Amino acid sequence: MVRRLAWSLPPAVLLAAAFLYPLALVVRQSFQSDTGGTSLKPYTAVFASAAFRQALWTTVWLALAATACCLVLGFFLALVIAFVPFPGAKAVARFVDVFLSFPSFLITLALLFLYGSVGMANGLWTEATGEASGPFHFLTTPWGVLLAEVTYFTPFVMRPLLAAFSQLDTAQLEVAASLGARPARIVRRVILPEALPALAAGGGLVLVLALNEFGIVLFTGAKGVSTLPTLVYSKAILESDYPGACVVAVVNVLVSVGLYGLYRVVSRRAGA
Amino acid sequence: MLVHNRAGKWAVWGLFLVLFLPLFALPLLVILAASFAGHWSGALPSGFTTAHYTAATRGDSLQALTTSLVTAVTASLLALAVGTWGALGAHALPRPLRRVLDALFVLPVAVPSVVVGLAVLVAFSQPPVLLNGTRWIVILAHTVLVTAFAYQSVSAAVLRLDPAYEQAAASLGARPAYVLWRIRLPLLLPSLTAAAGLCFTLSMGELSATMMLYPPDWTPLPVQIYAATDRGRLFTGSALAVVLMTATLLVLFAVARIRTRAAYR
Amino acid sequence: MTGIRFDRVSVAYGGTTVLDALDLTVEPGEVMALLGPSGSGKTTALRAVAGFVRPASGRVYVGERDVTGLAPHQRGIGMVVQQYALFPHMRVADNVAFGLRARKVPRREIPARVAEALEMTGMGEYGRRYPRELSGGQQQRVAIARALAVRPGVLLLDEPLSALDARLRSGMLAELARLHRELPDVTILYVTHDQVEALTLADRIAVMDRARLQDVGTPRELYRAPRTGFTASFVGNANLLPVTVGAKGVAFGGVELEVDTRGAAKGAAATLCVRPHVVGLGPGPNRLAGVVGEIQWRGATHRLYVDVAGHRVMADVRELRRPPAPGDAVEVHFAPEDAVLLEAGVSGG
Repeated sequence: MVRRLAWSLPPAVLLAAAFLYPLALVVRQSFQSDTGGTSLKPYTAVFASAAFRQALWTTVWLALAATACCLVLGFFLALVIAFVPFPGAKAVARFVDVFLSFPSFLITLALLFLYGSVGMANGLWTEATGEASGPFHFLTTPWGVLLAEVTYFTPFVMRPLLAAFSQLDTAQLEVAASLGARPARIVRRVILPEALPALAAGGGLVLVLALNEFGIVLFTGAKGVSTLPTLVYSKAILESDYPGACVVAVVNVLVSVGLYGLYRVVSRRAGA
Repeated sequence: MLVHNRAGKWAVWGLFLVLFLPLFALPLLVILAASFAGHWSGALPSGFTTAHYTAATRGDSLQALTTSLVTAVTASLLALAVGTWGALGAHALPRPLRRVLDALFVLPVAVPSVVVGLAVLVAFSQPPVLLNGTRWIVILAHTVLVTAFAYQSVSAAVLRLDPAYEQAAASLGARPAYVLWRIRLPLLLPSLTAAAGLCFTLSMGELSATMMLYPPDWTPLPVQIYAATDRGRLFTGSALAVVLMTATLLVLFAVARIRTRAAYR
Repeated sequence: MTGIRFDRVSVAYGGTTVLDALDLTVEPGEVMALLGPSGSGKTTALRAVAGFVRPASGRVYVGERDVTGLAPHQRGIGMVVQQYALFPHMRVADNVAFGLRARKVPRREIPARVAEALEMTGMGEYGRRYPRELSGGQQQRVAIARALAVRPGVLLLDEPLSALDARLRSGMLAELARLHRELPDVTILYVTHDQVEALTLADRIAVMDRARLQDVGTPRELYRAPRTGFTASFVGNANLLPVTVGAKGVAFGGVELEVDTRGAAKGAAATLCVRPHVVGLGPGPNRLAGVVGEIQWRGATHRLYVDVAGHRVMADVRELRRPPAPGDAVEVHFAPEDAVLLEAGVSGG
């Protein structure tokens, strides 16, 4: 027993040194003001700033909205791939896997070409109407971030769902259909209960990823959209305000862990 | 299976395409198109050129690619070693201790990467270990971030491993170390390569922690892409993005080849 | 020559006793079958010998050596499990050589010993194959060769035939019997739930039920004169009739039956064990009148379920030209020497 413990300790010690120890230093620094000594001053300063409160609110509502959209969209798309298969459905499922192996900021980059001020959508509009500029300006607003996040995170819902659907015995669907159940009823009564655990797992993952997303927001390049992760970056790197950055980081971790915990409780109550 | 009449099927497929194409297929196509474009001020790009690729495969950009590759390979191998060791060690422990180890190794997933970057920056800019300004601080942060994934996938594979193999080996007189080396690791090989592929992919695309840490002489590709787009050089950024995607996919493909061979033995 | 001895071995998982104070000695060179239904503790007993479960109390001896505290790899035992557990990433020859390499047998001796073990199981041609390229029966032979290659004093077989289909199983049974004749020094502990395997192969059978040893004896003893009702019903599926001991025999449902009472006290309650195949249809000695409850045609035989005095009596008779129908009144009988009187209170499991 002692030998087993000694044997499994080194990797844990390494991780603790490279991760837990730095994290502890972040917490410690968040309680240190510029003049030195332990104080709550960094917290009061950060909480008083409007930029922080704005970023906190944006982070939370963006993550919740992205999670909700991804769940609905991912469920529908996975449903079609699994149960209304078309030629090439397998390739689409494979494409989803490939999609997951690309970094998130590529989506924002692509959206710049699609909906940017000189992008495809506005180009089509100006060519068609002859106006000087197109109507699509949402990319530098939180809505642009939401669109990118929904695009990027939906595959994270689809993958566990497709795995769960492939476990589902299609004979169940055929029996249900032969008993006269309509598709909507089959989805609600047969497929949804089976898919709930996968749906809950995918949703939880998306929630955490969205709360912690950085690349997508950074690439929109909008000064108007700021979330907790980008605030950490700008405070630490652009403003060199380390205590402030540490405070935001602590809040970000607490919000992520807290919301994820809440999500787990709610989804367990809901029977998933 | 679910929808049986023809009209219903077509309606469902139509809705699927309307959602799927613009959301998922279009972005990747657009990046690909942009990487070859000379101008893009109308509906479609024009003035096709390969100049962006010429620029993307020399000088700073080439340096960024090799930086990314070296970082990703080093971080994945380190993460794989630590994660595998951790998962195997945790598996041998009684359940409550295993839970603790599970939580420790999964925690970096829940913590925002930016915060991991900040934490590493704060911790290794001061004694006893000074890494700030070196490439090692980037590699270290990447390793911390991907170790969690290596641990999780190896841990799942260890749980799935039929204990009958180890027991048969032990009954034949093999000591635990021999069983590990000759039986368990070879049987885990497919999962290990899969985990390595995942770690490599994540490290190749890592931006958030890297932005906090990279020294001027160690600029990975995602940072380079950001720098290009931030300066408005979107086409160059696209070409770099295509290079990043291609490199990632090539390595993933090679790993998958090794994996099928390992599984087939 | 190595035997196995269980000395009051108990095993518990989370408060449930799965093996209760097992006392059993397997003589050197003997084939001992551990026979019982699932959950009877037979596999646990075998795994206690192999070292994969730690007894809560009691000692396990292999030969003269107390192995209770030893790790599995220190015990010098050969083992074959239900699903064979052949290493999928190694060729057959490497599988068989595994134990030799692990025990650091000199490198130049290994090929000959691998060949010998494979020859013995008729798999000499297959050394270059991978396990997945073999049929179930061939995998079985490789698993046995792998266990025998290390020349163990003790061979543990855990339901080795249960993954095979019925035809292969009887072939392998004959193979195992031949192997044991060729290797008379190897002590074999054979776990099975199949009475035919136990009766065919074993020198002695230990019958287990609900974590306890119920009965030990040679197959003939257990079949002819089971000591408990569980043995009687599990080995050969006997009729167990509640009877009262009388002066010259026993009374069942108001009928006097002539059987050997073995000096049981007069007036005591007891159980009479009668095998279905010794029960005949029609009049004869020890006649019982009843009504046919059910009848099954089984090819060469008919199985009749006859309700006698509120009990269902099974009779296996040669195929009948004109079988009775359910509800017909019939008479059945059995010879006095074919019945065994058991203690009261024992009932079929």
